[in-house]
Amino acid sequence: MTRFRSRRDFLRDLGIGASALPFVGNLPSLGFANQARRKQRLVVMFSPNGVIPGAFWPTGEGADFALPTILQPLEPFKKQTLSLHGVCDRIRGDGDGHMRGIGCLLTGIELFPGNIQGGSDTPAGWSSGISIDQEVRNYLQKDAATRTRFGSLEFGVLVPDRADTWTRMSYAGPNKPLTPVDDPYQMFQKLYGRAKDRELLASVLDGVTDDLKAVAGAVGSEDRKLLDEHATFVREMEKELRESAAAAAGHPVPELEPGVREENNNIPAISKMQIDLMVNAFQADFTRVATLQYTNSVGMARMRWLGVDEGHHELSHEPDSNEKAVEKLTKINTWFCEQLAYLAKRLAETPEPGGPGSMLDNTVLIWTNELGKGNSHTLDNIPFVLVGGGLDFKAGRALKFPRVPHNRLLMSLAHGFGHRVKTFGNPDFCGDGPLNLA
Amino acid sequence: MPHRTATHPFALAAAALAALAGVATAGEPPTGEQLYKQHCLRCHGPAGEGTKKAPRPLVGDRSVIQLGKLVDETMPEDDPDKLDAAESLRVAEYVHGAFYSPTAQARLKPARVALSRLTVAQYRNAVAELVGSFRPAPQPDDRRGLKGEYYNARAFRGDKKVFDRIDPGVRFDFGTEPPEKDKFDPHQFSIRWEGVVLPPESGTYEFVVRTEHATRLWVNDQKAPVIDAWVKSGADTEFRGAVDLLAGRAYPIRLEFSKAKQGVDDSKKQKKDRPVPPASVALLWKRPHGAVEVLPADYLSPGSAPTGFVVTTPFPPDDRSLGWERGTTVSKEWDAATTDAALETVGYVAARLEELAGVRPVDTTRADNSGNPSELSTDAKKRADVPAAERAEKLRAFARRFAERAFRRPLTPEMERQYVARPFERVAPEAGAKRAVLLVLKSPRFLYREAGAETDAYAVASRLAFALWDSPPDDELLKAAAEEKLSTPEQVREQADRMLRDSRAKAKVRDLLLTWLKVKQPPDLAKDPKRFPGFDDATAADLRTSLERFLDAVASSEDADFRRLLLDDRVPVNERLAKLFGVAGPEDGPGWRAVPLDPGRRAGVLTHPYMLAAFAYTAESSPIHRGVFIARGVLGLNLRPPQEAFTPLAPDLHPKLTTRERVALQTRPQNCATCHAVINPLGFTLESFDAAGRLRATDRGKPVDAAGAYHTRDGADVTFAGPVELARFLADRPEVHAAFVEQAFHQLIRQPVRAYGPDKLDELRKDFAANGYNIRKLLAAVAVTGALGGKDQVR
Repeated sequence: MTRFRSRRDFLRDLGIGASALPFVGNLPSLGFANQARRKQRLVVMFSPNGVIPGAFWPTGEGADFALPTILQPLEPFKKQTLSLHGVCDRIRGDGDGHMRGIGCLLTGIELFPGNIQGGSDTPAGWSSGISIDQEVRNYLQKDAATRTRFGSLEFGVLVPDRADTWTRMSYAGPNKPLTPVDDPYQMFQKLYGRAKDRELLASVLDGVTDDLKAVAGAVGSEDRKLLDEHATFVREMEKELRESAAAAAGHPVPELEPGVREENNNIPAISKMQIDLMVNAFQADFTRVATLQYTNSVGMARMRWLGVDEGHHELSHEPDSNEKAVEKLTKINTWFCEQLAYLAKRLAETPEPGGPGSMLDNTVLIWTNELGKGNSHTLDNIPFVLVGGGLDFKAGRALKFPRVPHNRLLMSLAHGFGHRVKTFGNPDFCGDGPLNLA
Repeated sequence: MPHRTATHPFALAAAALAALAGVATAGEPPTGEQLYKQHCLRCHGPAGEGTKKAPRPLVGDRSVIQLGKLVDETMPEDDPDKLDAAESLRVAEYVHGAFYSPTAQARLKPARVALSRLTVAQYRNAVAELVGSFRPAPQPDDRRGLKGEYYNARAFRGDKKVFDRIDPGVRFDFGTEPPEKDKFDPHQFSIRWEGVVLPPESGTYEFVVRTEHATRLWVNDQKAPVIDAWVKSGADTEFRGAVDLLAGRAYPIRLEFSKAKQGVDDSKKQKKDRPVPPASVALLWKRPHGAVEVLPADYLSPGSAPTGFVVTTPFPPDDRSLGWERGTTVSKEWDAATTDAALETVGYVAARLEELAGVRPVDTTRADNSGNPSELSTDAKKRADVPAAERAEKLRAFARRFAERAFRRPLTPEMERQYVARPFERVAPEAGAKRAVLLVLKSPRFLYREAGAETDAYAVASRLAFALWDSPPDDELLKAAAEEKLSTPEQVREQADRMLRDSRAKAKVRDLLLTWLKVKQPPDLAKDPKRFPGFDDATAADLRTSLERFLDAVASSEDADFRRLLLDDRVPVNERLAKLFGVAGPEDGPGWRAVPLDPGRRAGVLTHPYMLAAFAYTAESSPIHRGVFIARGVLGLNLRPPQEAFTPLAPDLHPKLTTRERVALQTRPQNCATCHAVINPLGFTLESFDAAGRLRATDRGKPVDAAGAYHTRDGADVTFAGPVELARFLADRPEVHAAFVEQAFHQLIRQPVRAYGPDKLDELRKDFAANGYNIRKLLAAVAVTGALGGKDQVR
C-alpha cells in the first residue's frame, strides 16, 4: 500500500506545529547528545546523460594522476579527490537504461515491473529497495548520538514537475520514491520557516497586547477575567520567544536573493542557492546526509550561459565523431564539476563547528550519473568521483577496478559510517564485500 | 393507547390533612423550613450544599410531589418513619423552592451571557471563510455524481474525447472490454471525473482509489494530488491519501484514470491481437470514524468550487461539560494553538498573495540569458518601479479587507491605524501584509465572538451567523447590517430563513440532531460476530448513514415536524441493510430507499437500528443505556450518575434470566432503585430489539416482555405495551419538547438559555408547539432570540 504525506506531516517538518518547543534543533551551543562524537556527512550529487569518458577519467593511476578537462575545477582539491573507474551498475530487469540508471544507482536493486514504458526494454515502476543515502540516514537517526532534525535533505535543481522513474533517485524503501525539493524558497521554508515565523510573531506581540488591553477595557469585570488570563499567555509566549532568540544567537538565518523563478536560465542561480542552503544546513547540523539532483535522468537542460543551445539529452546521443557535440558535452560536464567544486570550496572554507579541521574534512561528496556514456547508454564505468575526508577513504588517488558491481561501493559508504551491512541492494552483486578504499 | 392511572394532587393533600387532624399538639404545625433545620440540615447543610456525611448538593428536577414521596420513603436516613407524608411534603416544598429546583438554582446563581471565544469548529470555519472571501464563489449544481470524460487515448486529448456523462460515482469493472464497444481501443483509454465533493461533517477524510492502472486524485488542492499512482509499480492496486475538509462546504475533486502504458508511447509498434489486460477503477472514501465505502453520489456534484483553506493545526477540545461546546474558557494550549494556526494561515496566504490580493508577482524576469543571478537589466528595473507602488497599495487594501472580514465589521479609523497602517511601517509591503494577517488572527476581535461589546447591527449579524452556521456572516448579511436592516425581529427572521436554506445550516441541523441523540461522537458499534454474523464495520457505517438520511429527510421536509423524528416508521436502507433486515432494497442497485421496517413494531429514532445497536453491548441489549438515553436525552431528566461504577451481571452466571430480569435483579437495592425505577421501565420497552437492532420475539428462550411505564411530573402513572406506545407518548409531551428546545438553544447560541430570561425556554417551547413543532421554525426563532438578545441587550 502506498502512503502519501499529508499537509500535516509537511507542517510538522516545518516545525510550525511545535510552538512549545525551542525552535533551534541541534545548535552546538546547546550541547545536545549528538555533538560529542565526530560528525560525518554524505552528499550525493547527480548529473544526467553520461559523460565523455576521454575528458572525464584521469590519466594515470593511484596517487600519480592528472585531472582531465572535465575535472579541472577540482584542481584545488586534488588531494581530497578520489576517482573510481571500473565500477559498474550490473542491475538488469525491467526498465530502459536511463530508468535503471537512476532508479538502481543508489538502490543497487531491480525496478518493480510497472506501467512506465521507456525508449526500449519492458515497462517498469519504482525501485524495489531503499537507496544508500536513506539507509545511512536511518542508521544515523537510530542513535541519539548522530540524530539530526531532518536526517536527510533532498535538494534538486530544475527537476521536472512529474513523478516517474526518470525523476527519482532517492528511495525511503521499496515503492517509496522521495521528491527532491528543487525550489530554494521551499527548502528555505523547510529549514528556517520556524525561525522566520518566530521573528514575525515577535514583531506583532506588542500589537496583540495592546489589543487585549483595549478590548478588556470595554467589557464587564467578569468577562475581563477571561481576557486577563488570555493576556498572561501572551506574556508567557513573549518570554519564551526572547529565550529562544537568545539561544539562537550566533546561528544567523541566511538571506536568499528574492524572486528567482524556476526556469532553465536560472539553473546557475538556483544551483548556488541550493548549495549555500546545504552548507548552512550542515553548519546548523540540521542533517548529515544530502542529495543534490540536477534535472533528471534524460535531463533536458539547455545551458545557454555556456553558449550551448541544444538540450543536454539530445546532445548526449550524438556519435563520438561529432566533435562539436563532444566539445559541448565536455563544457556541460565541466560546469557540473564547477558546482561540485563550489560545494567543496564552501565546505573547505567553513571550520567544522565544535571540532577540528574544515567541514570538508568530515564530509564525502560523491558526484555520479545514471550512465557511463550518453550515446551508448552503457551502465559500465558509472562516473564516481569522491571529494572530501568524511569517510576516511584514502584520497588523492585515481583507482581503476576490474568491472566491479556498484553495490560494493554503496556498501563501502555504509561501512564508512560504521554501518557494517553484509549486503546492500541485490545480494548477488555484493559477493566480495565493500570496496576497499582506505 | 397508553394506560394512565391519574393520582390527583388533591388526593395527597387530603391524606396529609387527615394525618394532621390526628395530631393533638397545640399551635401551628412546624413549617417545611423548620422541619428541614431540625432533621436534614445536619447532613445536607443550611442551603442543601452538602456536608461530609452527604456530600452531594441537593439539586435536581423532581417535582414537589415526587420529592415529597422520596423524602417520606427514605429520609431521614436513620429513621425514615420520623416524618409522615404531610411533613415530608412540606420539607419537599421548602427544599424545592429554596435551592433544589432548577429555577431555585437559577435564582441563586443567575445565568449570564458570558464573553466567549470562537469554539474550535467556529475557528476553523471562520478562517476558511476568511481566506475563501478572496476567492470566487462555488458554482453549485443540484445534480449528484461526477462529470466523466471518456477518451479513446491514453492521455486526455480534446480530439480523442468520445463522450462525457454524469456518473453517480466511480465503481467500474470494465474487464477486458472498453467503456463502450467499438468506440474505444480496449488496450488504451482514459477517463477523467470532475466535480465537487460535499463533506457531511468536518474532519479528516481518507480517500481510496482501487485500480490496476495509472491513477491520480486531487481533492481540494488542485495542484498537488492527494494520490499520485500514475506510476504503476509492483502489485499495489489500492492507494490512499487523507484530506481535512469542513462540513457544509464544497471542495473540488478530480480523478484521472488511464489504462495504458505511460512513459514512451510504443502503442503503434504493438501487435493488434495481443491479449487485453483487465481494467477496473473505484473511488472510495472513509469518513471521519466511518468505514471505507464507495463514495456515494449524495456527496458528489458535477458543479465547481475553488480550493478552500482548512486549518490543520490541532486544537485542545472545547468545554463540553454542559452537553454543548462553548468557548468560555481559555488555556495556554489554546493560545499556543491559535498562534500555530495563525502562522499556518499566514504561510498559506503569503504563498498565495498574488492570487488572493490580486497583485502581480515581483518582476524577476531576466531580460538577458546570462544566468547571472545578481543583475537585473535596467529595463526590468524601470518596469518594476511603477507597479511597486501599486502593489503596495493593493496589499494594504488586502490587509484592510482581511481585517474587516475577520472582525465582521468595518474598521474605525483607530482600527485602521492599528491593523493596517502600523504593520506596514518600515517593512516591505509583503512583510507588512504578513504582519497584518498575523496580528488580525491573534486579535481578540477575531478570536472572541462578542469582544468589544458593540451593540450594533454587525453584532446582530455575527450572532446570527454563528448561531445558524458556526461561521462568520456572509456578504449578504454584512450588507444587511450596513443598511441597518437587522433592527426588528422580522428583519432578522428574514435573514435567518434565507440562511437556513444554506448547506452550512443543514450541516448544523444534522449536528444538532445527532447531539440530541447523544451519538455525535460515533459510538463503537462492534458486535459479537458469533451472535450477529455479517454485522461488520461496513454495516455499522451503513446504519449511521441510514440514521443521518432519516434525520436529514425529516429536517428538510416541508413541515419539518419534530414529532416525526419519534414516530416515522420508515428506515432508509441500501442493498446491504435490506439484506440484513430481509426487506426489499433499492431497485436500481446502489443508492438508498426508505422502507417500512417491521410495520407496526417500530417508531422513529428510538427504534432505529443504529440507536438500538449504539445503546447496547456487543452481544446483549442494554435496557439501562437505552433507558438513560430516553430519560436524559429525550425527556430531559437530570439523572445522577450511579454512586459507584458497576459491571453488568454476566449473562452466563444467570443463564435462565432474560436481560430484563437480570437488570431488575441487579438494580433492586434501594439506593439503585431511586433512579432505576425511572430508567428501567423506559429501557424495557425496547427489549423487543436485540443488540444489533433487529426485532426479536424471545430472549434466552422466553418471550420478550417489552412492557414499560413512566411516572410523570404531574403525578400520572403511564404504562406502555411497547416502543410504539412509548414513542407516541413522548412525541406529545411538553417536557420532551422543552428538552429539545433547550438542546437546540444551547447548540445554536452556546450560552445558557436562562441568561435570556427565566421564561425564555417556555416561551420558545410554546412557539414551537404553535408552529406545529417545525424544527426549522424553531431554529429560526432561537437564532433570532440569540441575535437580538446578545451580551449587551441582556444586561
